[in-house]
Amino acid sequence: MKVVSSVISIHSSDTAGVCSSLYELGGLTVVHDASGCNSTYATHDEPRWYDRGSRTCISGLTETDMILGNDERFIDSVVDGAKEFPGCRFIAVCGSPMPMMVGTDFDALGAEIEKRTHIDVLALHTNGIKSYLDGVNQALCAFAEKFCCENLPKNPRKVNILGATPLDFSINGQVESIREFLTENGFEINSCWSMGSSFEELTRAGEAGVNLLISSSAKKLALYFEERFGIPYVAGVPIGKVFGKKCVNALKAAAESGSSSLLCLSERRVGTQAAVIGETLWSSSLCCALQLERGIDAHVLNPLEKEFAFIKEGELDVIGENAVAEAFAKVSAVYADPLYKPIVPEGTVFVPVPHEAFSGRCFRRDMRSLCGQNFEKGI
Amino acid sequence: MLKLAFYGKGGIGKSTTVSNIALAFAEKGMKVVQIGCDPKADSTSLLLRGGKVTPVLELIRKGGVFQLSDISAVGDKGVICVESGGPAPGVGCAGRGIIAALETLEKMGAFKEWQPDVVLYDVLGDVVCGGFSMPMRNGCADWVYILTSGENMAIHAAANIAMAVGNFGRRGYAKLGGFILNKRNVKNELAKVEELASDFDSSITGVLEWSSLVQDSEERKECLLSAFPESPEADSYRRLAEAVLENNCRK
Repeated sequence: MKVVSSVISIHSSDTAGVCSSLYELGGLTVVHDASGCNSTYATHDEPRWYDRGSRTCISGLTETDMILGNDERFIDSVVDGAKEFPGCRFIAVCGSPMPMMVGTDFDALGAEIEKRTHIDVLALHTNGIKSYLDGVNQALCAFAEKFCCENLPKNPRKVNILGATPLDFSINGQVESIREFLTENGFEINSCWSMGSSFEELTRAGEAGVNLLISSSAKKLALYFEERFGIPYVAGVPIGKVFGKKCVNALKAAAESGSSSLLCLSERRVGTQAAVIGETLWSSSLCCALQLERGIDAHVLNPLEKEFAFIKEGELDVIGENAVAEAFAKVSAVYADPLYKPIVPEGTVFVPVPHEAFSGRCFRRDMRSLCGQNFEKGI
Repeated sequence: MLKLAFYGKGGIGKSTTVSNIALAFAEKGMKVVQIGCDPKADSTSLLLRGGKVTPVLELIRKGGVFQLSDISAVGDKGVICVESGGPAPGVGCAGRGIIAALETLEKMGAFKEWQPDVVLYDVLGDVVCGGFSMPMRNGCADWVYILTSGENMAIHAAANIAMAVGNFGRRGYAKLGGFILNKRNVKNELAKVEELASDFDSSITGVLEWSSLVQDSEERKECLLSAFPESPEADSYRRLAEAVLENNCRK
């Protein structure tokens, strides 16, 4: 029972990651799952649900469909859904635990849907068990592979922001403040994956001279762009004035040299005073800001999949509540989502940094942008 | 790389036939991988002379990191042997187990590492659920071969499998390569299986006569091609392997 969590929350699932990353791109996204699961997504994982339209659906999977392998009903539903959606740019289909258990072949279903609708299909291999990082990585890479244009003229001042979803940055101006910060420092935003950019803007990602990776949810996308278009990336959220400036310099250097930089790791040491837990690229960047501007030596705890993590040697993967509590007991301060607070030992300083993918809408109004000089007032 | 999946009713002689075909390919200098897709994990036991390879799912169950060398063993004539394994009888989901095992091989880059010329999937029994169709999916086998005798139950199972292959055709899955008649000396055996093949616009790729040498070699825990390489029965397996290769070129 080592990995059981009886007090703390869990992170949003891979299906939420898919829906969130494709939300603004004009497609039809269908999760093959029982009806009811959509309310978890709409209520807790998608702050845009009530303000901004999107075609994000659940297939309404039934027990009989699963037992009988009734794939045709799913295909028919998606095809009908696409017909009701004029101008549908693409269809994304992905799975939940039950399709995973019976081995539903989404590649094959996607091919059939594509044949019947003549609309591009992204077949994604989610199972509802992995975290949102996996879903976002899959969806953005699939989108880029299918739609990004080749042979575009490169502009070294243009930057793509990779890894912007409400699951990490909510809708309270954090992404906008990163955009403004980059613009103020002489960059032109080429595209933002995937908040506030259109389908067409994303297809022209190849024009950028450099990518700013702001979440491990787009780690695979950054590597993909590096390989396909030769665009280097800088991994770091520009938190605080000092680390923000370092991000700007690293972006300029990367655009010039063509070499990527794991800035959020290289600009800090592993400290023992405090622990930061959450999505690791953001947490790593916060550690940099804490060391550079406050003199606080902190380290990162990774509660998510190891394959996406941005952590340094000596930093821990903490899977399950016991491991997290043990790690908290060793430090004098914890920077974490408020839902971690009940397992922080008495006497340990707790600094709340809400994370939508962990606590949903609960603490949205308390979230602050920490970009650039906002750090001083924000935390 | 040629990838073939072998299906047929339980007990029809799939593992024996597939192992002997594997050796026939290896004799031609081809690098062969045989993957047993059965919780019993006994597809490759003759190639390993009664030895065992640790099934993929056994290592998945234990957790932790493992390498390709932990889930494979080299059998007779260099054939690389892998077993998917599965849950204990009566629990879990054997079909899902096959999916998990094959996905694990893909994630570990098994075929990139081994660079085989031929991959043989020896699949348990009938296509009773999604998991058992995994070896015929896009990216796994190119061709499905169905073993049958002239016994009614074997023909019934073979027809079901052929129907599944046909249904999956539009999904880009493996195509039906043909039927393999493993004789049980039933009355009108050849005619019955020819009729079956014709019903599915297919043909009989090879005929294996009933022979006690097959049992004799199994008692010696060897494939017939290893135990009695000069026998006419061994030549039957070699001809079958040749016919499969010709089929691949022709189709």
